[in-house]
Amino acid sequence: MKKNSKKFLTSLTVLTAGLFLLTGCGNATVGKKNSNDTKVTKKAKKDIKVGMSLSTLSNPFFVNLKQGVDETAKKNDTKVQTFDAQNDSAKQNNQISDLVTKKVDVIIINPVDSDAIVPAIKKANDAGIPVVACDRGSNGGKLLTTVASDNVLAGKMAGQYLEKIVGKDAKVAELEGTPGADAAVQRGKGFEKEVKGKLDVVTKQSANFDRAKGLSVMQNILQAHGDIKGIFAQNDEMALGAAKAIKNKDIKIVSVDGTPDGLAAVKNGTIDGIVAQEPKQEGKLALQAIYDYFSGKKIDKNIKSPIKLVTSKEAK
Amino acid sequence: MSSETKQPFNLGQFYTKMGPLVALIGLVVIVSILNTSFLTIPNLMNLLQQVSINALIAFGMQFVILTGGIDLSVGAILALSGAISAKLILNGISPILAFIIGVIFGAVFGAVNGFLIAYGKAAPFIVTLATMSIFRGMTYVLTNGNPITGPKMNDSFSFQFIGQGYLFGVPFQVYLMLIAYIIFYILMHKTAFGRRTFAIGGNQKAAFVAGVKVNHILIWIYVVAGLLAAVAGMVLTSQLSSAQPDAGSGYEMDAIAAVVLGGTSLAGGTGKISGTLIGALIIGVLNNGMNLLGISSFYQQIVKGIVILIAVLLDRKQAKN
Amino acid sequence: MKIELKGISKSFDQNHVLKDVNFSINGGQVKALMGENGAGKSTLMNILTGLLTADSGKIIVDGQELTYKNAFDAEQHGISFIHQEMNNFAEMTVIENMFLNKELKTKFGMLDDKSMIAKATQTLEQLDANIDLTTKIGDLSVGNQQIIEIAKSLMNDTKILIMDEPSAALTETEIDKMFTIIRKLKQQGVGIIYISHRMQEIFEITDEITVMRDGLTVANYKTAETNIHQIVKDMVGRDLADFYPERQPHYGKTRLKIANFTSNGVFQDISFSVKEGELLAFSGLMGSGRTEIMRALFGIDHYDTGTIWVNNKEVKIYNPSDAIKHGIGFLTENRKEEGLILDAAIADNIGLPSLNEFSKHGLLDQKNENTFIDLLIKRLTIKTVDRTATARSLSGGNQQKVVLAKWVGTGSQILILDEPTRGVDVGAKREIYDLMNELTDRGVAIIMISSDLQEVIGFSDRIIVVYEGQITGEILTSVATQEKVMTLATGGKLDE
Repeated sequence: MKKNSKKFLTSLTVLTAGLFLLTGCGNATVGKKNSNDTKVTKKAKKDIKVGMSLSTLSNPFFVNLKQGVDETAKKNDTKVQTFDAQNDSAKQNNQISDLVTKKVDVIIINPVDSDAIVPAIKKANDAGIPVVACDRGSNGGKLLTTVASDNVLAGKMAGQYLEKIVGKDAKVAELEGTPGADAAVQRGKGFEKEVKGKLDVVTKQSANFDRAKGLSVMQNILQAHGDIKGIFAQNDEMALGAAKAIKNKDIKIVSVDGTPDGLAAVKNGTIDGIVAQEPKQEGKLALQAIYDYFSGKKIDKNIKSPIKLVTSKEAK
Repeated sequence: MSSETKQPFNLGQFYTKMGPLVALIGLVVIVSILNTSFLTIPNLMNLLQQVSINALIAFGMQFVILTGGIDLSVGAILALSGAISAKLILNGISPILAFIIGVIFGAVFGAVNGFLIAYGKAAPFIVTLATMSIFRGMTYVLTNGNPITGPKMNDSFSFQFIGQGYLFGVPFQVYLMLIAYIIFYILMHKTAFGRRTFAIGGNQKAAFVAGVKVNHILIWIYVVAGLLAAVAGMVLTSQLSSAQPDAGSGYEMDAIAAVVLGGTSLAGGTGKISGTLIGALIIGVLNNGMNLLGISSFYQQIVKGIVILIAVLLDRKQAKN
Repeated sequence: MKIELKGISKSFDQNHVLKDVNFSINGGQVKALMGENGAGKSTLMNILTGLLTADSGKIIVDGQELTYKNAFDAEQHGISFIHQEMNNFAEMTVIENMFLNKELKTKFGMLDDKSMIAKATQTLEQLDANIDLTTKIGDLSVGNQQIIEIAKSLMNDTKILIMDEPSAALTETEIDKMFTIIRKLKQQGVGIIYISHRMQEIFEITDEITVMRDGLTVANYKTAETNIHQIVKDMVGRDLADFYPERQPHYGKTRLKIANFTSNGVFQDISFSVKEGELLAFSGLMGSGRTEIMRALFGIDHYDTGTIWVNNKEVKIYNPSDAIKHGIGFLTENRKEEGLILDAAIADNIGLPSLNEFSKHGLLDQKNENTFIDLLIKRLTIKTVDRTATARSLSGGNQQKVVLAKWVGTGSQILILDEPTRGVDVGAKREIYDLMNELTDRGVAIIMISSDLQEVIGFSDRIIVVYEGQITGEILTSVATQEKVMTLATGGKLDE
């Protein structure tokens, strides 16, 4: 058994040595030289091969985003290959490496993390593959465009509506998303700026964008602050969890996202208002940008996906 | 391999000895037939790069499993030591020094596990389940839940080099993996320490009576696991240009899978480090290959689970015969 | 009831384990089945109890041929097997163990504790045994555990009871008690197949003796009409010059001295010494503290007070590694639990305590180590294909030799051997005695613990007897008798 390992060790050494020769010697480098901007080769919609890596497919929001892409693609006979990064940045980077190897024509990335995605985007840049960021931006690398809704604005709109339904200086709680996530930071920023001096935010706690966490965190908040009048949840899932916790109490909930579950909850009054983004629309816009690019049109660096306030009164 | 040629050929024995390697070769053949870009140099480099983090963790995990233990905290150690060095770099410490300090911290976290298991006589599963939660929590406290990144990290050549650099066309982290393989191959199969590790897993009481300082060895083994997890943490931090608070969650499971695919028994006492390297490669080829073949992420998880089950069942069957 | 096994053959691969074996047993008869390890006894018994299927041959019960579907079938026909290693669940109570898988239930499917207790009590009364049914079985003495095993088979209306080395872990008094039970069962018409290596017991309890060797039945005797020498000769196929080799010791300096050695509640104030070339026997009943003294001395267990001198120098021993450094080796009484790594290679087992010797600059010199191990395998005549075979693949005797080789390999100058010949067949026993002689000739001091009185008296220089944690006496072997040792071992005093 020891012999095996020895042989394996030798063969590995030989393998690596061989790889040196094959890849040619060179100095130590980080990344590869940036390729010059090449002229866009026009492509028909049905000839475009799209690779897509989504941060997670266990959140309905991104499932809808995927549907938006898929529906548009189906109509136009475009091939799309989708990966789920399961909220793991390292996994997402691997998937993008593999898409680069596959030589897809364009990559849609919905980053798990805006910093951690940078090396992967650079890798695609090096290979000359254009990248479209979706719903979250990237803090580096070259992007064809970023398709996202304005999260700061969404937070602001949610704040305005909450002020309207709970009244001035009412006590409210804020359910935050995954710490550090862009959406969490920006929605929080927009909300807090808006309500400063107008509402009394008695507590802010993270429930990780998760419905079950939303329930348990809200139960805890109610123990400490039984007198709150309103809740701002940074996404629908947490709002739905929180709604379970407050039961019959008269506490208003406002959230951001607009998932089918969330919108249904607005309809039956469990949630009072949602600043709805349109993930499906985001997906469609992303693919449309790609079509534009390959037909030689110029495209904007930032494409805003529309948002709108849906309230239980309107819904009825 | 060839030393037993005098004996009549026995398929069963052949499989036990060569099973993982045969599986790996078979997998490579299938994937390269189905997708021509698999067997290209850039993709193979990709593949090795993707494998190296899991392999680094798995080498340490294997020492632990050889003693009949388990270390669930490696993913959390990876994140915590990565966050520590990222913080240090942002505070102006040179990346190389920060990495060394991060790795030392990883070793210390491992020592905590080892000490609790050896002297506290507590079950490794429970101890590392608890420390997993503690280390992960400490990571969140340290990072405040936000990824740590900054120009000091992004502009530093030595910081970027570890996880993104190439040397002679091969990703630097692949060298780290190979160096770790050689060092821990020697430690596992060529030293008294390695032999004693196997002895503890085979029969801890008998090893003790034979003069093995069981507690010392156990502590050192968890130090090895923590240290290697921290090295993987450095690679990942550099690769992602940031320390993610939830980095490495679930990595302990991939490492355990690599060790088991490589033919190491979870009961301890038997195994080869070459098997673990092959096990990590199998998982890597599966991931890379399925991505190239365009298999949906959902199905990928099912396939991975099935492969692990098949490997374990085949191994059990051989053990019975 | 009469059971006949006729023309039984069985092979595993090319290995013919049983070749046309005949064997019979009647109700009310105690029959010894003798043979070295590997002679085919276990295989034959496993066929009788349905665990294995014979390649050819018949099992005839009261004139009717029997075919088994599974092991439960044998129990249905009244055949029970009490294995050497009892398979009970230490953490469960006596009553739970007795009715495991055969629980009595009420009409509603609930456990019927009342009936179970009644039935168990009745069965134990039948055996004159007084055991608390609610204690954990692991807390019972081995003797009582054995009685529970017998009781279990009686509850199944056993007609034929197979007992494999039943006395191996029992004290003299417990053996006497077991014999009383055997005689009682015999009167009730139960047939008993008694498998043991202990000649003395065979001649005390059995009516007939069947001897097996190399898969054949080689002899059948009425016990009253044969003798130990004949049986041994049949078992090994040759004359064994003498059962125990002669001792011709030459003593040198004191190797090991212990004074006021105490572990509270286990043993008190133990003082003794042993010289170069001496074979000192430690005798005493199970649980008397003789094993515990040695375990503490070797650093396995803790002790409270006491002083240890090795070669006239005071030493501290906190763990086995310290003991080994001072030249002490310890063969434990339970080789499977503490002596061997069963699934590791013979070489890895033998080399384990000597690894430091073969480490150069941190690396193991495997070539050197292998030469050394091959030498030990040869010197201790360990029968194996090669050093890479697992310890598990060896017979009991050869396993014991592997453990011995470990300590011979470390160059131990003081060897503690706890039951060195337990579960070892006659041929290998003699080889172990010869090795012990050779070691003492080279100046090694040996302390041997043994439950086998004949062995203690037949093969030692001096005997120290322990009773309830204290040394009650010391006798030179040349003047020792079984009676004297037993008197001391049970707390009595010798009249000088």
